[in-house]
Formats: sequence, C-alpha cells, structure tokens
Amino acid sequence: MPKVKLPKPPVPDALVPRPKRPGTAEKAGPRDVAKETGISAIDWVDERTGMSGAARWLMFRKVPKGTNWFYTLGSATMFAFLSQAVTGVFLAMYYIPDPAGGAYESVRYLTNEVFLGEFVRGMHKWGASVMVILVMLHMARTFFFGAYKYPRELNWIIGVVLLVLTFVMGFTGYLLPFDQKAYWATVVGVNINGTAPIIGPYLNDFIRAGPDFTSTTLARFYSIHMLLVPGALAALIGAHLWLVAKQGTTAPPWMKADKKGDVGEERA
Amino acid sequence: MNRAQREEYLREYSTLKNQGKPFFPYAVAKDSAMACVVMAVIILMTIILGAELLPKADPTTTTYVPRPEWYFYFLFELLRVIKPPELVALATIGIPTICLILLFLLPFYDRNPERRPERRPVATLAGIFTIVAIGYLTYLGATGGSPNELEIEAPPPIQAAGGEMLASYEAGRIMVAQSGCLACHKIGENGNDGPGPDLTEVGQRLPSQAIARTLQNPTAPMPPYDELATKNPEQFNNLVTFLSQLRE
Amino acid sequence: MADRRRQQKPKLTEDQGMPGAFEGETVTRRRAVTSSAHIFGGIAAAAFTLPALGFAMGPVFEKAEVGWEQVGAAGSFPMDTYLPKVITVSDGVGEIGRTTVYMRARNPQLDTEPEDEFNQFVALSHRCMHLGCPIRYVDASSRFICPCHGGVYGFRGEVTGGPPVRPLDRFYTRVRAGQVEVGPRYSVNSEFQRYSPRDPAQPLDGIGPYLYPSRPTIRKFPNT
Repeated sequence: MPKVKLPKPPVPDALVPRPKRPGTAEKAGPRDVAKETGISAIDWVDERTGMSGAARWLMFRKVPKGTNWFYTLGSATMFAFLSQAVTGVFLAMYYIPDPAGGAYESVRYLTNEVFLGEFVRGMHKWGASVMVILVMLHMARTFFFGAYKYPRELNWIIGVVLLVLTFVMGFTGYLLPFDQKAYWATVVGVNINGTAPIIGPYLNDFIRAGPDFTSTTLARFYSIHMLLVPGALAALIGAHLWLVAKQGTTAPPWMKADKKGDVGEERA
Repeated sequence: MNRAQREEYLREYSTLKNQGKPFFPYAVAKDSAMACVVMAVIILMTIILGAELLPKADPTTTTYVPRPEWYFYFLFELLRVIKPPELVALATIGIPTICLILLFLLPFYDRNPERRPERRPVATLAGIFTIVAIGYLTYLGATGGSPNELEIEAPPPIQAAGGEMLASYEAGRIMVAQSGCLACHKIGENGNDGPGPDLTEVGQRLPSQAIARTLQNPTAPMPPYDELATKNPEQFNNLVTFLSQLRE
Repeated sequence: MADRRRQQKPKLTEDQGMPGAFEGETVTRRRAVTSSAHIFGGIAAAAFTLPALGFAMGPVFEKAEVGWEQVGAAGSFPMDTYLPKVITVSDGVGEIGRTTVYMRARNPQLDTEPEDEFNQFVALSHRCMHLGCPIRYVDASSRFICPCHGGVYGFRGEVTGGPPVRPLDRFYTRVRAGQVEVGPRYSVNSEFQRYSPRDPAQPLDGIGPYLYPSRPTIRKFPNT
C-alpha cells in the first residue's frame, strides 16, 4: 500500500517560538524551582548532620559478586516486620485490652464493622506467619552458607535473639483477640514457663500478675506485645543491619576471587 | 579458625567485594522485588484465608480442643510424644533450652574454617536433620486430632449392606469417640499412642466375641464396660460391631 | 611493696600518660569524678527502673483473696458420677475469672484419704495437670480425658495414662446450712496429700515440692 504523506498544516505566526536573544538566561520553570529547593533543603540538612557520607557508605558499599536471590531473605524479613509494625499500630487504635469482654468485643467490632478491618487484621495475622517463615529461611541460608563464621559470630547471636523475640511476639500476640484459641494457648504457654525449676512458679505469678488469670494479665501481654518486644526488635534489627553494612554481605561460599578480575565458579 | 585462616578469609573477601556491584541499585532492586513478593503472599493469604475470630474465650469449657498456631505445632507435638510424666519438664523447658543454647553458641563450637555446605558434611547433615525433624513434628502436630472425635469412613461391605448394619456401625463410631477410647488407643490417624494397644486393625486380630469379652473384663488400667453391657446392651453391641469392623 | 610502688608513681595524670589528661589533674581527682559519674548514673537509672520493676512485681507477693461459693444442696450430688459446676475464682474479670469444677459426694469405699470437714464433697478442677487444657469427664469409661497431649485420669482424678505429673487439683468444700460451698484450690500428690496450689506440670512427688515451691499468692489452709 503506498504511503500517503499529507503536508503539515501551516503554523500561525503567533505560535512560532521566537529564537532566544543572546544574553538572556533561560527562564526557570516551576519544575526547576522545585528541584532547586529540594537540593538546597538536602544541602541544609547535610551541612548540619553530615549524613550524606553515611548514606553513601550505606547505599553504595559494594556487594560481593555472586550474591543471589537467597540474599534477599533478610531484607524480606525486615519488610515483613515493617508491615507488622504499621498494621499493628492501626489495630491498636481500635483495640481495648479488657478481658471482661471489651477485648473480644473490640476485635469483633474491628473485624466485622470497620472498613477494611478484617483485611488489616488478616494482614497482621498472616504477616506473623510469613515473618516466622522468612526468619527460618534466612537463618537456614546463613547456616548452610556458613555465613555465621568469622567475623560475623556476633551478628549470628543477635539473629538468634531476634528469632526468639519473633516467637515471643507470636506468643504474646496470640492472647489479644481473646477468643478460645487465644485463651487456651496462653494457658498452656504460661504453664510451660512454670516448669522451670525453682523460678517457674514465681515467673508464672509475674506473667499472670497473680495465681490465676486476672484483669491485669491481658494488659501485661498487650504491653509486652506492642511496646517492650517491638522496641527491642527494632533496636536489634538496627544493630543487625549496622553489622551487615560494616562487615559486608557474605559472598556465596563457592565463590572464589579471581586474580584477573572475573569470577569463576569452582567445581567441587 | 586460626589467625592465618582469618587473614586469608578477610583478604579473599575484600577481593570478592571489590569485584562486586554497589548495593544500590543492584541489591536493592532484588530486595524490593522480594518485598513485593512478600506483600503479595501476605495479601493473598489474607484474602483467601481471612481473619477468623473464634468464639469468645471461655475458661469453663469442657469440650474445646486447644491447638496452637501452626508455627508452634512442633513444640505441641513434642509435648504429645514425650509421655512419661518424669520427662515433662524435659519436653517443655529442657529440650527447647538446649536447642537454643546450641543455636546461640553455634559459631563457637563450629570452628571449621570451611564454608561450603558440601565440604562440611556434619554441619549440613545436622541442619537438614533439624529441618526435617521440625517439619515432621509440625506435620504430626497438624494432623493430631481430638481424642473426642473419630472420623472414619465405613468400609465398603458395611456401606453395601446399608440399613441396620450401617446404622449400628455409625452409632458405634460415635460411641467410641464419646467413651474416651481414643485417650489410650490409636485408631487410624486419631487418638493417642498408648498406654493401650493400637486398635486400627483390631477387627483383623480378634473376633467380635473376643472384643466383647475384653471390653467387659479388661486388664487394668483399662476400665471395664460390663455396666454398659448390662444396662444398655444395644449401645454395647454397636461398640462391638464398630470395633470388629476395624481392618486395614 | 605495693604501697611503695604507688608512692613512686607520679601524682599528675599528665605525667602518668593517661589518655585525656589535662594540666594539673591528679589521679585522686580523676578517680573521684569517675566514680561520681558511675554513682550518679546508677542512681538515676535505678530511680526509674526499681519502682517500675517493683510495680510490675507487686502482684507476685500479694495474697489472692479467698471466697466460698454455694454450688447446690448437699443431697444433690451423686457418689458414682460427677456434676460439672461453674464457680468464680478471680473477681472483676467477668466470665474470664470463672472455672469449672467436677463435683461428687465423698465415696468412703473409694476415697481413702483421711476424712475431714473439707472433703465431704469432692471437687476436681477441670484443668489438666500436664499443661492446663480443659479436661472432660466421660461417663461411659469414668475417665477424665484431656484433648491436648493425651492425659487420662481415673475416677478419683489419679493419672492413668499420658504425661500429667500429678492427680487433678481439688477445691476445698464445706457444708453450710445444707448447702455445699466450694472454697480455694489445692493440689495433691499421687497419695492425695494436700499441698499448696501449684501450676500444672509441677510434680509433687519426691523432690517436686522443693523444685516447685509454693508461692506467696496462694496457699492451702494450714494443718489440712
């Protein structure tokens, strides 16, 4: 089919852009102004904190060649933690830690009545499961790749503490909806603590704030679940990340540095 | 790991690192993609599985069957399989504490400088064994049913016979579930492994007369069911019918 | 010897080459300021840690209140089976403070423990002594069955199978004006001797009572 080329319509004189006269600066558009303001604001902060160096150190540090998808498990765990933190804050806006009926009623209300309530609660509930799985996978990767060895022993220990704290979060979060599963799983969990010789009975009284389940028990679990352990978790994640950035991400154990500069996989 | 090996590692690592790519954007791109996968999984699970709220907590219940969240199933099953009362503290505190200490001190007793999984077979096998053990315990915990319920399909001959036979079988099944047999016996997937013998194929081992005799005059600590036989012979017969049909 | 060596040391931190030394500073002065840094810091930290800890620990030393609750006429309880009754064990929490007890009248042929005013009626707790799951009484086999980890108890609450470490806990009972009243809980060992209430999974035979001591919050009646 032959191409038919139409002639362009003539442009009226008024719309033809005038060529710039020498000596006049280009007029700054709103986009340039915004860009300028942003840069100067960052400069202002940087001048007073010196943060750009730290950011450059953190973001543009080199990651050894050969790192693969297994190395995203750690950041994925942290991402799950962030998701838990955000959904948790919003759930706390509706939750009432009152065992006499308010707790269950508030969870029922937020699940059934609040817009997107069931969705946010579901994200928190299943996010917990996903986070536990990711912690396990991350740990398995570290174990099988020998990444806990010199010089990263301390980071392994921090990681184990983080694993324990994740399980503590799971355990204390259990009780909060105050349904049957919540109550009985907590009874069993508290009694498991009680089997520690000598200190067990006192430990149980401390956790429950009395010899039986009392009005304070739920408030205790709530405070531990949303203040104490998340605070510790956030602080330790910070330490964990700082050590990773400082010591560098491990290379896969089969990688060997090549003197010529390219890396080959050694066959076992 | 001695000093020479440490220095060797650090040298090797710094070369590897220099041959790598910057964290941003190369590693961050992968991390962000993974974060999207994580969120997609969470949101999908939420949409498919929802956020179920069970009935309100009731400390006076005598029928509720407590089960933990799935990630505690392995601990739950550990408590179920360790039967002797003297070992309860071992199952609740002892084994978890020992495992945790072993996990904490891992870098200190595993001093092998080798990092490749296939060149440190002991560590790799121990890791695989741990994962398999936790997985197996989780599976057992997930399938462990209540000792007050028994779900077994009637065998084809009974179903074919239908009518009175099937009704008697079904009544017997409910009777077994409600009489607490499963507290001491195992029937298929249901029930506890001991102190009583496995009843999964008791119909193959014993004729129905022998089953009836054992029920009425059992060896301790099994309680006798002769009162049931005299007071309510129909229910007793249902019980015997059901048990005598238990075969592989 | 040590004294002489100390005397030989120069007095000024500058001369000793201590890091951060400044002109005219002596060792004693530095020591005083260092220790006051530690002491003041310690006091300030203790000032908020200790009250907060004490606040959280308070309930561990507080004795829980004990009440008696009527559960029915003395004649209404059978000897050969159990009736479940709901009682309140902690106040102010509504339904959460309640629990179920399995009640029957004392059966002299079965109950061999010494008789007194508190055991004319037997009241068994419905908490499994393995880890506290809610047990159920099954009439057909006269057994208590735990749905969790396979605990089984006989008619008197004695362990007949599974992992529970001691017989079912009991409650004091008494009769006032023809009505049976249920009081506080107590634990028993395998010989049905009374002990202060323990949590589940804490054995009371052998060295059990020493490994798991009784707590200030809840005790049995003295001399019972």
